[in-house]
Amino acid sequence: MTMLFDKIFAHSTRIIAITVLLVVAAIFTILFQESLLSIQSNGFAFLSDTKWAPNLEKFGALPSIMGSIISTFLAMILAIPVAIGVAIFLSEIAYERLKAPIGISIELLAAIPSVVYGMWGLFYFVPIVRDIFGGMGIGMLTAGIVLSIMILPFMAAVTRDAMNTTPDILKESAYALGATKWNVVKDVIIPYAKAGIIGSLILALGRAIGETMAVTFVMGNVHKISMDITQPATSIPVTLANEFTEADSDLYYSSLFELALILLVISFVIIAVAKSYFLRRTRRTS
Amino acid sequence: MATIINIPEAKAIQVNNLEFTYNGAPEPSLIDITMPIAKNSVTALIGPSGCGKTTLLRAFNRMHDLYPGHTYNKGEILFEGRNIIDPKEDLINLRIKIGMIFQKPTAFPMSIFDNVAYGLRLQGTKNKTELNDRVEKALKDAAIWKETADRLKDDANGLSGGQQQRLCIARAIAVEPDVLLFDEPTSALDPISTQGIERLVTELKEKMTIIIVTHNMQQAARVSDYTGFMYLGELIELGKTEEMFVTPKERLTNEYITGKFG
Ligand SMILES: Nc1ncnc2c1ncn2[C@@H]1O[C@H](COP(=O)(O)OP(=O)(O)OP(=O)(O)O)[C@@H](O)[C@H]1O
Ligand SMILES: [Mg+2]
Repeated sequence: MTMLFDKIFAHSTRIIAITVLLVVAAIFTILFQESLLSIQSNGFAFLSDTKWAPNLEKFGALPSIMGSIISTFLAMILAIPVAIGVAIFLSEIAYERLKAPIGISIELLAAIPSVVYGMWGLFYFVPIVRDIFGGMGIGMLTAGIVLSIMILPFMAAVTRDAMNTTPDILKESAYALGATKWNVVKDVIIPYAKAGIIGSLILALGRAIGETMAVTFVMGNVHKISMDITQPATSIPVTLANEFTEADSDLYYSSLFELALILLVISFVIIAVAKSYFLRRTRRTS
Repeated sequence: MATIINIPEAKAIQVNNLEFTYNGAPEPSLIDITMPIAKNSVTALIGPSGCGKTTLLRAFNRMHDLYPGHTYNKGEILFEGRNIIDPKEDLINLRIKIGMIFQKPTAFPMSIFDNVAYGLRLQGTKNKTELNDRVEKALKDAAIWKETADRLKDDANGLSGGQQQRLCIARAIAVEPDVLLFDEPTSALDPISTQGIERLVTELKEKMTIIIVTHNMQQAARVSDYTGFMYLGELIELGKTEEMFVTPKERLTNEYITGKFG
């Protein structure tokens, strides 16, 4: 009897796992098919052209690609130190009485729909950024800030959970050698929790790069590469969200699909590289 | 009343009337403990589970202070002529002088070398040759040099349990503490590794004072000079090991070592 159940269980989990792979493959295939026209007529120039003028049938994806990469990069740079700081505070420094309320609030923040972050960013951050840095207030910088705030709670919560897995006895061993709290965090907890921390960063990165709603409001949807991050710009998801309804030619439509395909590839590559690079090193040292 | 013998040697530590209560516990876990610890000797702490051995051991390096709410209600622990229970005691400094080995091996997630060098680096030793020398010496003293000499850069978690425990001992003795506390250091180890650790303990007492908690009475008899028997938070008897296992003065001690309870 149990044997039979084991078999059924094993087979059904296998089928589910294979289904997931099939879905991914199907998404890839559809995106590729729909992009075919764009790939044929735009060629590789699609990746390097900076001009995006649908009415002239000119499609250059570089501004969107750069926008996605730069806004995500900004978001990560801003969020990582704060998230790690919050996690250290919650796992090691806060009084017991504070840990639960703060921890729960952070988990609640992580559950706020991204469109709310976008609206909040538009009405709250755009004026602030405009006042401080000049420009219009919408653009890469504001998008980066809003994205960083959006991914921060998740990052902090998962990082804290990873840090909390450090065994007490390991921390005590360091204290027993005369370590300070800071020594213990730096030398024992962070190295011990490294795999989990990096995992949380990678997941947050995946969320940031594909994020649409939070940035659509504050990015500007201007296909221009500007060295000034306070100027309006665009990113792949923003372009897609804004322009699919307007795509009036087959080539326009197909170009947008190619953008989506590029986004998928970028996400895959970044996550695969980050995972193999960091986790390989982690496995060696922990 | 407890039977505490007078010790002829110099004392490394003297505990007087110590009482300690865990956070939120209704009763104290240590009750009126008075106990001399002889210098350069091994003192074993035995007694049934939950009697307070670990609690007493962790008072010596103020490990309890890592968690809020535990309180030393009464008494004192004299070390180097001062009461180290004093709230003003410098705990970093105290823990450098009074080291600790835990029940399970606790190698840090770093290389073998860095593990042993850890305490030295905390104290600011940066000089490469000095670090190398002291790490090598500690590994030799902990009888693990032969197994690790050619793999110092390897991850310490690649060592076996027994090797890791000796590595932890090397890490603790690298900073040359005056007192070393062992809390059931061999409870997770096989008989051969246990023998190795026991030999080490008896060798180390030339250089430092050792207090070891053990559940194994044969082990206490083999390694220690003095043995303290604890029961329900009290120190019932402290005596010379060879006398205590043959002619215990207290009825409870007698019952415990003859296996009537525990
Ligand atoms: N963190 C804690 N909070 C509250 N009570 C505790 C705590 N740790 C231990 N105690 C209690 O204190 C008493 C002494 O515990 P202790 O760990 O010192 O015993 P022990 O002699 O080391 O036992 P064992 O041989 O099982 O290790 C026990 O009654 C235990 O339940
Ligand atoms: Mg114990």
